[in-house]
Amino acid sequence: MTTLDTGGPPAGDLVGPEEPPARPDRVRTVVRGIGELLITAGLVVLLFVVYEVYVTDIVSAGKQREATSQLDTEWNDEAPAAPEQQRVERFDGLGEGAGFAKMHIPSFGADYAFTIIEGTTERSLEIGPGHYKGTAYPGEPGNFAVAGHRVGKGAPFNDIDLLNSCDAIVVETRFNWFVYRMLPKKDEVGGWADGKGTDPRCQGVAPLGGPYTGLVGQQIVNPSQGTVIAPIPGQAGDAPSVGERATLMTLTTCHPRFSDRQRLIVHAVLVKQWAKDPTKPGETPPELKETS
Amino acid sequence: MYGWIWRHLPGPTAVRVLTALVLVAGVVALLMLVVFPWVEPKLPFNQVTTQ
Repeated sequence: MTTLDTGGPPAGDLVGPEEPPARPDRVRTVVRGIGELLITAGLVVLLFVVYEVYVTDIVSAGKQREATSQLDTEWNDEAPAAPEQQRVERFDGLGEGAGFAKMHIPSFGADYAFTIIEGTTERSLEIGPGHYKGTAYPGEPGNFAVAGHRVGKGAPFNDIDLLNSCDAIVVETRFNWFVYRMLPKKDEVGGWADGKGTDPRCQGVAPLGGPYTGLVGQQIVNPSQGTVIAPIPGQAGDAPSVGERATLMTLTTCHPRFSDRQRLIVHAVLVKQWAKDPTKPGETPPELKETS
Repeated sequence: MYGWIWRHLPGPTAVRVLTALVLVAGVVALLMLVVFPWVEPKLPFNQVTTQ
């Protein structure tokens, strides 16, 4: 930019060269300064995009790795030859930011796995998908609700708009595998029984009845509609007694991408539970192979 | 602004270029590590929870 700085009087100036015109030079300096500031501001905004989309990914990947290895240690360490009765999940006393389960979505690829973190604060969501405090835990009757970033910060829920009904969301806890499957979408509910419902993968998935009538697999709501994570999604009040609750899982993320105007919601229902066999560590449920 | 900074950098051109690069790197680091993490939650891009 120094090349522009000729230092001489502006061209076409009628004042003679022996009387240096101070004024136009100052104007030029000010205008150039403003221009440079604007260019700088543009570069800073571009840099922010790079930060938001790439840099936060790198930072979050490290935190997610840390949380996963911590969870692995926890699961391996405190696993003495426990008799069958003691192999019960314990989720009480989980601190904000602590990992307690892993989620797999096989249709996103065999390597799609995230450790789910307790709590939905900014800090927790930076580590991985966060469990809404107060909602059910994996496998419990009620609504196991999880929020995740769609852009940057590891973007665990980047593609959940591509989930189809019956796609498996497998939640691994210390002693169990819980297989949730996405509920029918709005346009599939009608002909479900002899339409998509005949797919062998859809076993156990059907439009829910009773108080759950009208609940579909994917919906887009306003940020203020917090009832999507209620035991009966969409209904704030009359929660049924625990025994009558369906066992659901709900994912929430921002919508449209790069905006927080709305929320994309995915509802799934528990169809199967596999208890981990202590004699066969490393055994995985067949649903994890549904990678197409 | 940039011309002023350039004129006030000491040393021969090679040293000035080096100093300028270090200055740019410093500003980028300050933005990435301090300013952006602070400003990001205040912007309407990435809120994923319902209220």
